[in-house]
Amino acid sequence: MQPLTAGRARRGLTEPLLPVAALALLAVAAAALDATVLCWTSVGALAGFALSGSV
Amino acid sequence: MLFSPGWRGSVRQDELLAVFTLGLLFGGTLSATVLWLLSGLAEPLPSGARAWLVVAVAVLGALREFGLVRLPLPQNARQIPQEVLQTRLRRGTLQFGFELGTGVRTYVSASTPYVLALGLLLSHQGPLPSLLAGLAFGAGRALSAALTLWSRDPDRDAAIAARLPWITRLTALTLPTALALLALHPLP
Repeated sequence: MQPLTAGRARRGLTEPLLPVAALALLAVAAAALDATVLCWTSVGALAGFALSGSV
Repeated sequence: MLFSPGWRGSVRQDELLAVFTLGLLFGGTLSATVLWLLSGLAEPLPSGARAWLVVAVAVLGALREFGLVRLPLPQNARQIPQEVLQTRLRRGTLQFGFELGTGVRTYVSASTPYVLALGLLLSHQGPLPSLLAGLAFGAGRALSAALTLWSRDPDRDAAIAARLPWITRLTALTLPTALALLALHPLP
């Protein structure tokens, strides 16, 4: 097993799929709980993050 | 592009990120305000019909993202000129962020932002959810840039490019799921 270096840890913590998973869970959970504002906020963040790679 | 080394070495990159984020938040909020104002036009439609129309748009967006439907996007086929960042750096970065944050001044290649815009337009949310969604859109774009900066990874572009299909497809799948769950509850 490779040792956990600072660089690898940083790359792991900044993995682009992590925010997608977190925001997707938040959006679905908020919708299930009828938390409309939180759901639309999560959807907004997801839509913004979906444009990754353009900056 | 924003955080490339070289001639911007004299300006702290975290400062640029902060200014860029501010621009994105302004831009997202402005677009959301316009959408909220226009969404009043959808009000005569029954709330249930509007909610399921939003779900239909989200399903269409997901189908497009998976390549099952061919649908041209009405994007502004224009890149924000590099000169914006080459004159006054802080002001240029703010403008760059603002233009990206509006979502209408340059390419928007994923389906999800269109679903968000049409969703807000058709569902006629109150000002709070609309504005927060716009603010979050800017924050989502800023988060992507922030992660790029914080990763300090010289191969970041390749990493993003490799994951981009997953990012766009996961987001495109999430929207119909979440919006269908919302549609099960009556709109105010």
